[in-house]
Amino acid sequence: MKEGMANDRSLEHPIIWVAVICGALGSIVLLNTVAWLAFPLVLAVVLFYLVQPLLQRLQLSGVTPNQALGIFLAAATILTVIASVTVLPAIFNSLSEFQNQLPEHWTRLQSVLRQDLLSIEGRFHFAQRAGLADGFQAQLDHFVASSGKAYLADSILFLIHWLPSLLLVPFLTFFFLRDGTAFHRLILRAVPNAFFEKTLLLFDRMDGQMRAYFRGMLGLTLLDTVSLGLGLWFLGHWDGVFGFWDAMLLGLICAVFAWVPYVGSAIGGLVAVATCAVKAPQDGGLLLSVVILFLAVRLLDEFLYTPLTVGRALRMHPLITVMMIFAGGMLGGVYGLLLAMPLLGIFTVLGQMFGEIWFDPRLRARQQARNLLEKRLASKDLDL
Amino acid sequence: MNFLKLFQPPPIDPQLKVVSGVSVFRDCNRAELEALRLHLHERHFLAGEIVFDEGEQGEGMYVVISGKLRATRKGLLKKKTLGYIQPGECFGEMALLEAGPRVATVVAEEPTTVLAMFRPELVQLAESRPRLGYKIARGVALVMEARLRRIAEGQPDEVSVT
Repeated sequence: MKEGMANDRSLEHPIIWVAVICGALGSIVLLNTVAWLAFPLVLAVVLFYLVQPLLQRLQLSGVTPNQALGIFLAAATILTVIASVTVLPAIFNSLSEFQNQLPEHWTRLQSVLRQDLLSIEGRFHFAQRAGLADGFQAQLDHFVASSGKAYLADSILFLIHWLPSLLLVPFLTFFFLRDGTAFHRLILRAVPNAFFEKTLLLFDRMDGQMRAYFRGMLGLTLLDTVSLGLGLWFLGHWDGVFGFWDAMLLGLICAVFAWVPYVGSAIGGLVAVATCAVKAPQDGGLLLSVVILFLAVRLLDEFLYTPLTVGRALRMHPLITVMMIFAGGMLGGVYGLLLAMPLLGIFTVLGQMFGEIWFDPRLRARQQARNLLEKRLASKDLDL
Repeated sequence: MNFLKLFQPPPIDPQLKVVSGVSVFRDCNRAELEALRLHLHERHFLAGEIVFDEGEQGEGMYVVISGKLRATRKGLLKKKTLGYIQPGECFGEMALLEAGPRVATVVAEEPTTVLAMFRPELVQLAESRPRLGYKIARGVALVMEARLRRIAEGQPDEVSVT
C-alpha cells in the first residue's frame, strides 16, 4: 500500500488483488444493506480517530485514560449546549433566509441556462431545429412538477429514517474510546500462535492507515476550504457577489465534495461556477476567474496539500481509483462513493498481510505442527 | 473485622506480580503495571510448539508466566542449545526497540504461558504515557548494558534471542 498497489510484492498473486477489489466492493454492498447501522458505525470510527489525539494530549498531562474521557465528555457536552443556544439559531436564520431566496435563485439559474442554450441555438442550426432551449425548459418544468414533489417527500422520509440511527454515533464513539484496547485484545485472542505477530502487525498497519486517512482528510478539507473560500471572496467581493462567510461556506461545500476523488472535485467546481453564474450572470470574467481558481486549488491540492496531509498512504493508480469510485457509486450510491477508497485501502493492507501469512510456508507449517501436537495430546490415552 | 483492610488496595494480579519482577519493568509502579496490562497479550504454547524462529522478524518481547522454554541456534551440523527460559524471565526484548531478525529459535519445552508485548503497542503507550515508555526503554537498555558488560568481561551470556 505504501509503495502503491502495483509495486507491492505480497500482492503479486492475482488472486489476492482480485480478492482485495471484490472484498472492498462486497463490503460496500454489505454496508449499504445495513446502512442504518453502518452509517453511524462509520461516523463513530471517524470520530474515534479524530478524538483520540485529544485524549492522548490529556493523558500527557498526567490524567488516566478514563479521567481523560470524562473530561472530554464534559467539555463536549458544555460545548454542545453553548452551540445549541448560540450558533444553532444563527444557522436556522441563515437557512430560512436561503429558503426565501431559493425561488429567486432558481429562476435566475433557469434564465442563465436558457440564455446559454439560446446562444448555442444561434450558432448551431441543428440545435435550433431540435428546439434545444424549449425542450430543456419543458423537461425541467415536468421534473419540478412531478418528480420534485416525490423527491421532497422521499427526502423527508429519509431524514426521519436516519435521525434515530444518528443518535447511535456518540454512544458508539464513547465505547470505542473507552473499550477499544480491550476489544482489540479480545479479537487477537482468537488468532493462532503461529500467525500472532504478523496479525498484530496487520492491526497496527490498518490502524495507522485509518488514522492517517481520517485525520489527513480533515486537514485537507480545512486547507481546501480556506484556499477556495479566500479565493472566492477575493474574486467576488469587488462586485458584492460573495460576502466572506458565503465564500467560506461555498469553499467548505466544494471541499466536502472533493472527498470523492476526481469526480467530487469536478462536481464541486460546477457548483461554484453555477453559484457565480446565478449571482453575476453577466460577469464572464468572474466565471473564468473562478474556473482558474479551481484549477489552481486542484494543483495545490495535488502537489502540496495531499502530500502534507493524507500523504501517499492511500495513493492508488488513477485508473483503479476511478473504476472503484464508479463501481462503489453504482453499488452503494453516495455511501459507496465516499467509502470506496477507504475500504480499498483497508482491504489492500488485509490482502498484503494475508499474502505474507498465507504464502509463508514456515508459518503454515508451524500451525500444522501445533494442530498435530493438539491432536496427539487429545488422543494420548486412547488406543488408536 | 479489620476495617483497615478496606483502605488497602486489592491484591495484585498474579501475572502482573510476575511481570513486576522482570528486569525490563522493574522501575514501573503498580499503576503503570496495570496500565501496561492492557497491552500484554496472554498466549499459551504446547510442549514442542515454536514461539518464534531464528531469522524471523521480531515484533515484540515475551515474559514467561509459567512453564519452560528452550532457545536454540542453528549450528554447522546441528542445533545448539543456548539455554532455558524460566518463569519470571523475558526474551526477545530487543524487538521492543526495533524490528530485527531473531537470533535464535524459541520452543516451549512444556505447556507454557507467556505475556507478549509488541513494539507498535509500546510506541502507542509511550505516546500517551511518555514516563512509562521511558521506564521500559530504560529497562531494555539496562538489560542490554548488563549483557554487554558480561560479554566484555568474558563471562558466559544469558539467553539472548534478539
